[in-house]
Amino acid sequence: MYSDSFYKAFIHESINPFILFNNEGKLIDFNNEAEILFNSVSPKEIFELTLNHSPHNFGFERKYINLKYAKMKYYALLVGYIDDEHIAIELYKQINIEKEIAKIQDAQLTNIFSLIDISKNTNFDFTKTTITEEYDTSIPEIRVNINNFLLTLNECFKLFKESKKVKIAVHVKVGEYEVIDDKKHSIASIRCKADTLIEASQELERQALKSHINVFEVNGYIKLEFPIII
Amino acid sequence: MLKFDMENFIALSLSSKKALHVAKMSVALPVNILILGEIGVGKKTLAQEILQNSQSYEATEIEKLILNKQIDIQSFKSLILYNIDALINKKQFFENLKTLRIIATASQNYKDDLNTFPIKIRLEPLSERKEDLEELISIYIKEANKIYYSNKTAHDVEIDISKNGISLKQSIYKSILLSSITKNDIMDILYKYFISDLKSRDRSYKDLLDIFEIPLLKAFKERYKSQVQMANHLCINRMTLRKKLNSYYKVKKNV
Repeated sequence: MYSDSFYKAFIHESINPFILFNNEGKLIDFNNEAEILFNSVSPKEIFELTLNHSPHNFGFERKYINLKYAKMKYYALLVGYIDDEHIAIELYKQINIEKEIAKIQDAQLTNIFSLIDISKNTNFDFTKTTITEEYDTSIPEIRVNINNFLLTLNECFKLFKESKKVKIAVHVKVGEYEVIDDKKHSIASIRCKADTLIEASQELERQALKSHINVFEVNGYIKLEFPIII
Repeated sequence: MLKFDMENFIALSLSSKKALHVAKMSVALPVNILILGEIGVGKKTLAQEILQNSQSYEATEIEKLILNKQIDIQSFKSLILYNIDALINKKQFFENLKTLRIIATASQNYKDDLNTFPIKIRLEPLSERKEDLEELISIYIKEANKIYYSNKTAHDVEIDISKNGISLKQSIYKSILLSSITKNDIMDILYKYFISDLKSRDRSYKDLLDIFEIPLLKAFKERYKSQVQMANHLCINRMTLRKKLNSYYKVKKNV
């Protein structure tokens, strides 16, 4: 006979986020994956999601819906409650089996601000769109696959073509690193924000994947993050 | 030695300055560049400025040579290709050229669905580039004046920008040439024309009269407006004039 602690430990190790709330939406328990999820979405929002998809009576209900929080995607959720005091939700994580990662040897040393400038000039009509820039010029020349990097920028800027105002901010993410081939690399971020809400396209995500760039859609703006490899 | 000033490409308007800026920034990048636009906007000129000392071909020419195994494409590091719209099998073609750097030109509606070109430069038609147009008019008038020993200005020429720079140059040269033609030149031209024409067919005086009469009547109409005045100055009676105008109007509709 297995103990409750075994079930609990098992759930904590799952790659699917699991969250247990009380009837007022307060967090009672959650697993490791849920803790990571909370970096991108608030527990309050997850509680609302839980209530919206809960079964009418005591029991469990599974629904197949697509959800995306930052770079994490989910294809289904399971909500259940067996009393009036608690309610739980599990999100089913979507895993990318294939991942094309650009090898560092396909990369060339370049000034990314020049690449942004080129892509900006070829994708925007400056008579229709005003662009403001905020660049951290301390970012040195870095190694990227120039071809794929430009194609990714093009796909990103295409989304903003009809916007009247666009702000492009380029910064180093303080305190965050990516490990590639056992080497730690700082992360640079290109944030594009418009006067309207923008959604990332599948083409952008597909192209970004080839360029070792992570795409985030946060509050209607697009963020591209990539390691600073010198 | 590479020149980065790209002075052969006229860029005085905002849009062409932007295009030139992108071209200059892209020169040293190991990526393919596509230049899009209507005929005669300067695509070839810009392509040759970006990739100096590189061989240039019509894209279909290279496609044919590859198909017939008449070219070792790997012997090239870079190529300029014109009019890639005309390619028969784009996918196969660019697969064959994937180790090369390509600067290509295409019409403005070309779709790069294979993502072969991360940099695309669009050149606007001359009608949208007032400053470039004025500069080109000035350049071509200067050139034509030098060739034809004349001193015409922009007021004296009829310009045609239907094919942008191509038709602009042709129309300016033609305007200046025509204005510098003397009576003897016209007679000489007509003589050569008649000699050539008579070789292929039998002609009578009446058959060839329109060559003289149509431009004559056109000029008199422009100058004198009314048929009364025209007849008076031509020293022919009005009925004869009317008959001629009607006959030429039916045939040519330009009198």
